[in-house]
Amino acid sequence: MAGAAGRRDEVLAIIFEALESLNQELEPDERVEIGPATPLFGADAKLDSLSLVSVIVDVETALTVKWDAPISLTDDRAMSREISPFDDVGALTDYILELLQEISPA
Amino acid sequence: MTEAPAIAATKPLGPAPSLEGEFVRLRPLTVDDAAITHRWRHDARALHLNRSAATVADQARWIAGRPANEFNYIIEMIGGPAIGMLSLVTIDLPNRRAESARFLIGDEAAAKGAPAAVEAMKLLYELAFDRLGLERIYGVIEERNQRMIKWQKYLGMAEEGRLRRHLRMDGEFVDVVSLSLLADEYRAVTVPRMGGLMAMGRPRAGGA
Repeated sequence: MAGAAGRRDEVLAIIFEALESLNQELEPDERVEIGPATPLFGADAKLDSLSLVSVIVDVETALTVKWDAPISLTDDRAMSREISPFDDVGALTDYILELLQEISPA
Repeated sequence: MTEAPAIAATKPLGPAPSLEGEFVRLRPLTVDDAAITHRWRHDARALHLNRSAATVADQARWIAGRPANEFNYIIEMIGGPAIGMLSLVTIDLPNRRAESARFLIGDEAAAKGAPAAVEAMKLLYELAFDRLGLERIYGVIEERNQRMIKWQKYLGMAEEGRLRRHLRMDGEFVDVVSLSLLADEYRAVTVPRMGGLMAMGRPRAGGA
């Protein structure tokens, strides 16, 4: 079983893959730089709402397959947090790790 | 429980009502919008929409000629600029169905940081399902527009099939994907998912 650091890397890889997939659909000047600090939603983000939903769907699907449990990233719990999980890739990673810890402690 | 529709099936539709939300409002499209909508329709963001009017004058004539069974809207930021367009067309009250169409955010930069596209669609669905009492909203999306197809499915639409060579774009025939949303699916899936996406645009309790 992957430790905490290994799990973080696994989650980051899933998010990065979703962003890579998105970039393949975008025009060159619309593509996002991919990294832990990449903003996902807000004034600093390059993603529009169609792109954000595309990432959410791909990440939810990959997490559900990998951990064999339904995972929702846009339910009331996610939206009531003081720091939005969609501020940037790092915040989304932290939120997903919290959800996974409940499903399958590392 | 489904409430009785606010607009009875036997009454004429009348003019499109303005619809106001938290971040955007929908106001009826007028011929004064010909220049901006013509520009949006010829921008790269409209790549996947079907052919538009060639000139601003043609666009104005097209707007003036919209039939009575359509509600055509301009999407405006609250207290801000017009950012896009959205329509409910082929409104059929006896059969309680309509088509959502011509959805385009033409000025994405002005909508940055707000769930403008989601709220615009939310306002249109509220009109369709809650005020008009419709049972079914349907539409087609050009098959290469995968982000829009994914977005509409995430928000509850189900794929019904594919219409082969349905559009001719730049001299090439393309397929479209046919999607629909039923009233019970709207309430069970669309409303909570739209609520989640809308919440992203609100200030956080502990945020800066």
